[in-house]
Amino acid sequence: MEKTIESRELLDVKDLYINFYTYAGVVEAIDGVNLLLKQGETLGLVGETGCGKSVTSLSIIVLVPPPGVIEKGDILLNMEDRAINLLKQRDRALMKIRGADISMVFQDPRGALNPVYTVTQQVGEALLLHRKEELCKRVLQELERDIQEANTFKRFIYNCEKKIYEKMMNTRRRSASLNALSKIPIVNRYQGRLRNEIRKEVVKLLKTMKIADPERVVDMYPHELSGGMAQRVVIAMALSCDPRLLLADEPTTNLDVTIQAQILLLIKELKEKMESTILYVTHDLGVVAQICDRVAVMYAGNVVEVADTLTIFKNPSHPYTRDLLNAIPRPGKEFKSIRGEVPALINPPKGCRYHPRCSKAMPICAQVKPKLTEIEEEHYVMCHLYER
Amino acid sequence: MKAKKARSESPTIKELKFIVTRIKKSPLSLVGIAVIAFFVAIALLAPILAPIPEGQEDPYRLMHYGWTSEPQPPSPEHLFGTAQYQYDIFYGCIWGTRTAFRIGIIVVAGNLIIGLIVGTLAGYYSGVIDELLMRLTDIIWAFPGLLLAMAFAATMGPSLDSIVLALILVGWPSYARVIRSEMLRVKQEDYVEAAKAIGCSDLRVITRHILINSIYPIIIMASLDTGAIVLSAAALSFLGLGPPPGYADWGQMISLSRGFIYKNAQDPLGYWFTWTYPGIFIFTFVLGWNLLGDAFRDILDPTLRRR
Repeated sequence: MEKTIESRELLDVKDLYINFYTYAGVVEAIDGVNLLLKQGETLGLVGETGCGKSVTSLSIIVLVPPPGVIEKGDILLNMEDRAINLLKQRDRALMKIRGADISMVFQDPRGALNPVYTVTQQVGEALLLHRKEELCKRVLQELERDIQEANTFKRFIYNCEKKIYEKMMNTRRRSASLNALSKIPIVNRYQGRLRNEIRKEVVKLLKTMKIADPERVVDMYPHELSGGMAQRVVIAMALSCDPRLLLADEPTTNLDVTIQAQILLLIKELKEKMESTILYVTHDLGVVAQICDRVAVMYAGNVVEVADTLTIFKNPSHPYTRDLLNAIPRPGKEFKSIRGEVPALINPPKGCRYHPRCSKAMPICAQVKPKLTEIEEEHYVMCHLYER
Repeated sequence: MKAKKARSESPTIKELKFIVTRIKKSPLSLVGIAVIAFFVAIALLAPILAPIPEGQEDPYRLMHYGWTSEPQPPSPEHLFGTAQYQYDIFYGCIWGTRTAFRIGIIVVAGNLIIGLIVGTLAGYYSGVIDELLMRLTDIIWAFPGLLLAMAFAATMGPSLDSIVLALILVGWPSYARVIRSEMLRVKQEDYVEAAKAIGCSDLRVITRHILINSIYPIIIMASLDTGAIVLSAAALSFLGLGPPPGYADWGQMISLSRGFIYKNAQDPLGYWFTWTYPGIFIFTFVLGWNLLGDAFRDILDPTLRRR
């Protein structure tokens, strides 16, 4: 039985459990996470370091690094006509979804670029993997135009090229000989037109990322880029195939504040232009306030509160959210940190995982794990205070 | 005008120019390249430098110019003199260059291929596969190469092939280990994760993203090893495990001069030509590869890249 999903919902993470099997013991990193993304919204995933927000985002593209294991749960993705469970897909199907439907922007832009490839090659790889057919079609159109103007000799060459590209277009049955030829230097020059097309496309993408002088930047290696430029390139790579869902894993954490502001503005603009949905992972509440429509707060592997951004800031309901907001340093006010420490997840506290640090803890908190309940419309909290 | 031209330069050309300037800066690596180029020329031009004498069918089988066992000093007919049983030393050295290249390249290529496959599999798919492959590597590592070569020589008969096979079977563990450790390092990098996130298959991730960043130490190792392998092949050949007497091979030439290092009390170095010439060939060949290895390191090592 396929589980269903409503049409205005894009992604539904249901009861996700992820364990990491380390030498020290089993780390229960994700403990029953529920997360819902609606079409076209920006959801902020907030929490302290090590609360499992990155793992949650990695699990959505099914790339949880070993020794992490997805124990149970469903991640449903809305594909126009039906919902598919990402955790039950084969590798091949996942490879088609990654990059094309769901793509990811990483924290460290320089680390996310392979040092031995130029910008064109890196961004072009995503294009080649998912949009080859479209690009080949464009090359064919160009050839068609050239054939009409060419003389007899050139026409012959162009016709040969046309045959090759028609063969390449057929992605379902990949021709082994062409595949082998494309790996030999000099011989693979027959792909020149495709390369030009990719280059043009990359320049276009970089222009939308507002990179100055994209013609020059496309031929640069990652070490020649500044941090802000590198992050723009990474975003270009992620958006190259018009994904419906963009996972942004702290994309501005490693950048300085001015660049951070520029990147945030860029993401906001791009989102309006491309109508994609964003899951924005961060620990920076200021960033959340700026770009998110809704916020999910995570603590020690649980989503403890979900609401729209205004409600979270105006009317935080879970004690952890309240403590977190109070812990933002403000001038003139006494600085209140949350007492205690983030629990080690090898042996997490029983019941509600926040109860050892919670100021409103009740006896039941140490016994039973609370459920995520809707206290107002669209405002979910996981706390015994609100359970009836 | 000029500035505009530099701008439109393709990255490949830029990289090539960078490599050339790097080579120019280290004269020793230039020497290495020159020495190896010189040997390549000798190997290619062997039939012209040392024409195959009439009546000799296999160019690698030295011809007897007589049957006296005493080596004859250099003369216009035999530039480097003749060895025991009147083999022409000059001819042996020139055609031996081909043998040396053949041994070096085949053995190193074999080592590289096995090492790459084993190391890549072990490093990328850690866990049980890693454990199995690395223990196999340890076993091979502990295996005495000389004994293996002797076993091959005993079963297949002493020949060049048995030396080559033995060296291939014994030599790959070092490559496998280096590749594995490099794989383990590079596999952690963010760009590998990023490549998976845009939908690359395992094979693509390994070849295009991991190997290309971890292959440099192996190329340097291979180049250094090519010299060393020729040396150990010469040693095995000297011990009589290699090709039969009369084969154009440097180790064989030195083996022939074994009894003629000392002539007599009046003229102790009377037979100097029998071991000096093949010795010089082996020495410069190995030195050339070592210098070339250094050159490769200067060019390829990513930690030394332009700052």
